[in-house]
Amino acid sequence: MRSVVVLVTVFILIAVAGPLVAPHDPTAINIPDRLSPPGAAWWLGTDALGRDILSRLLHGARWSLGLAFLISLIGLIIGTAVGLAAALGGKIADWVVMRVTDSFLAFPELVAAVVIAGILGGGVGSLILALGVTGWMRYARVARGIGLSLGTRGYVVQAKLAGMSTLSIARWHYLPSLLPSLTVVWTGMFARAILGISALGFLGFGVQPPTAEWGTMLLDARIHMRSTPLQMIWPGLAVVLCVLAINLAGDALRDALARREDQSSAETG
Amino acid sequence: MILSAAGVLLRAVVVLTGTAIATFALLWAGPGDPALAVAMARYDTVVPAEVIDQVRAEAGLDAGFWPAFWNWIGPLLSGDFGNSSVTGRPVWPDLVAAISYTVPLALLGLAIGLGISVPLAILAARAPGGWLDRFAVAIASLGAAIPAYWLGLLLILLFAVTLAWLPAMGARTPSHVILPALTLGLGVAASLTRIIRSGILEAREQAFLPAFRRRGVADRAIGRDHIAPHAAIPVITVIGLELAFLMEGAVMVEVIFSRPGLGSFLVNAIEARDFPKVQAVVILAALLFVVLNLLIDLLYRAIDPRIGGQGA
Repeated sequence: MRSVVVLVTVFILIAVAGPLVAPHDPTAINIPDRLSPPGAAWWLGTDALGRDILSRLLHGARWSLGLAFLISLIGLIIGTAVGLAAALGGKIADWVVMRVTDSFLAFPELVAAVVIAGILGGGVGSLILALGVTGWMRYARVARGIGLSLGTRGYVVQAKLAGMSTLSIARWHYLPSLLPSLTVVWTGMFARAILGISALGFLGFGVQPPTAEWGTMLLDARIHMRSTPLQMIWPGLAVVLCVLAINLAGDALRDALARREDQSSAETG
Repeated sequence: MILSAAGVLLRAVVVLTGTAIATFALLWAGPGDPALAVAMARYDTVVPAEVIDQVRAEAGLDAGFWPAFWNWIGPLLSGDFGNSSVTGRPVWPDLVAAISYTVPLALLGLAIGLGISVPLAILAARAPGGWLDRFAVAIASLGAAIPAYWLGLLLILLFAVTLAWLPAMGARTPSHVILPALTLGLGVAASLTRIIRSGILEAREQAFLPAFRRRGVADRAIGRDHIAPHAAIPVITVIGLELAFLMEGAVMVEVIFSRPGLGSFLVNAIEARDFPKVQAVVILAALLFVVLNLLIDLLYRAIDPRIGGQGA
């Protein structure tokens, strides 16, 4: 548990302060030193244009982690709104909303994201749109499920009888109860967003060169696999460590929540 | 039962119609002039305005959104996927050729995934918390974090570049399928191990099991008749999701291994802005998932007598 906290903190620090401590300019081209092995001048070596890989990794963290944070937050907002609309809007709204959610869920998310990002053309805007549009369904399902179970609670019925508006009930009575579970879903979606961003980058539909991003770095490195295989290891390792840390943090959070629920049910029951 | 079957069918129609309209709208509203993109792809040079207009009329792009949509969906309903806007050849034969590369890859990937995960999960669940269990969980967590494209590159580096045991690029011989299938299969194995393991552990907690044991029912029979069906429910759900993963994985893996399957077909079509081909893949994928979800729904009803009765 403690190691997970340390790992997550390290990644947050890298995303925030990475560009400040990067030893070189991530886009500075230096042909004489191209494809250098790791050494004193270039800690992790250089790529085909002689750019420092460590600096590109550190700058890339901001894109990979920052964008993933933004995308998972967009999904959280859309999904929660959709889920609450289904839970509070009555039977017909529920049926329609959940069928739409199911349709989105039925389709492989990454394929949809590839199509959307590819058609709209590469770039940060279409990347956010592609992954945001395909990443809200899990939140919606969880929000609706919990929302439906809240509908019969005493305090919600009281609030309705007292004439509180549906919006206020959603804000003051539903949202606080949803947050713990949604946070667990969010960690999973955050990790998925990191994978999605680098996958789209690897296909050439994501963040565009010369901006350093882990997926596009892998794409660059792939051609030089025979001569400098290490160049391909670093960005992949960064993705794996990040996703692993976030997933483990999510697991720890879920276990902590389950324990708290056990305790509270033991106290009331 | 009839009512729920009608509901399921209605859902399928809604999903397919929605996907068709959404895809078409996306292509229609995408940046750049589609007619220009087609003309560029076809003639590969700077083209004069008259040629672009001619292409626009040919491709039926000048009629407005709904007429163009009906132009596409009408023939599609009778199974005609139209012609490639780049080469002018029918889409269907190319699509079939691509599928014939993807299906073996996906099936072999699924087989490898099941072959690793089922024994590993059963062994792991035998002693929860033991070293084998912790090993299986660690492998599953690691597997869930490794992106398919990186795993593919690592396998190429190890087996094709360093050891030179297996071919990596293309699909000329049957042995070309091994590395891509292994890439897919290891990803599948990671997520399945986790689910099957927790499925078995949960099924074992069922309150009726001690009663069977006290009555002297053999452990083997309990495992086969009572634990396995319970553990099967989450596994079937996940295999449904797993097929989505296989499709996603196939897209990435085929691009990495330059395998001419559906994934490469889709990515190439997007890059060439060959709309009929993109639409064909999307519709086919949607159809595949509707049918699979239908089958999974039916399978649930067959395994779990509680589903499909009243109130479900």
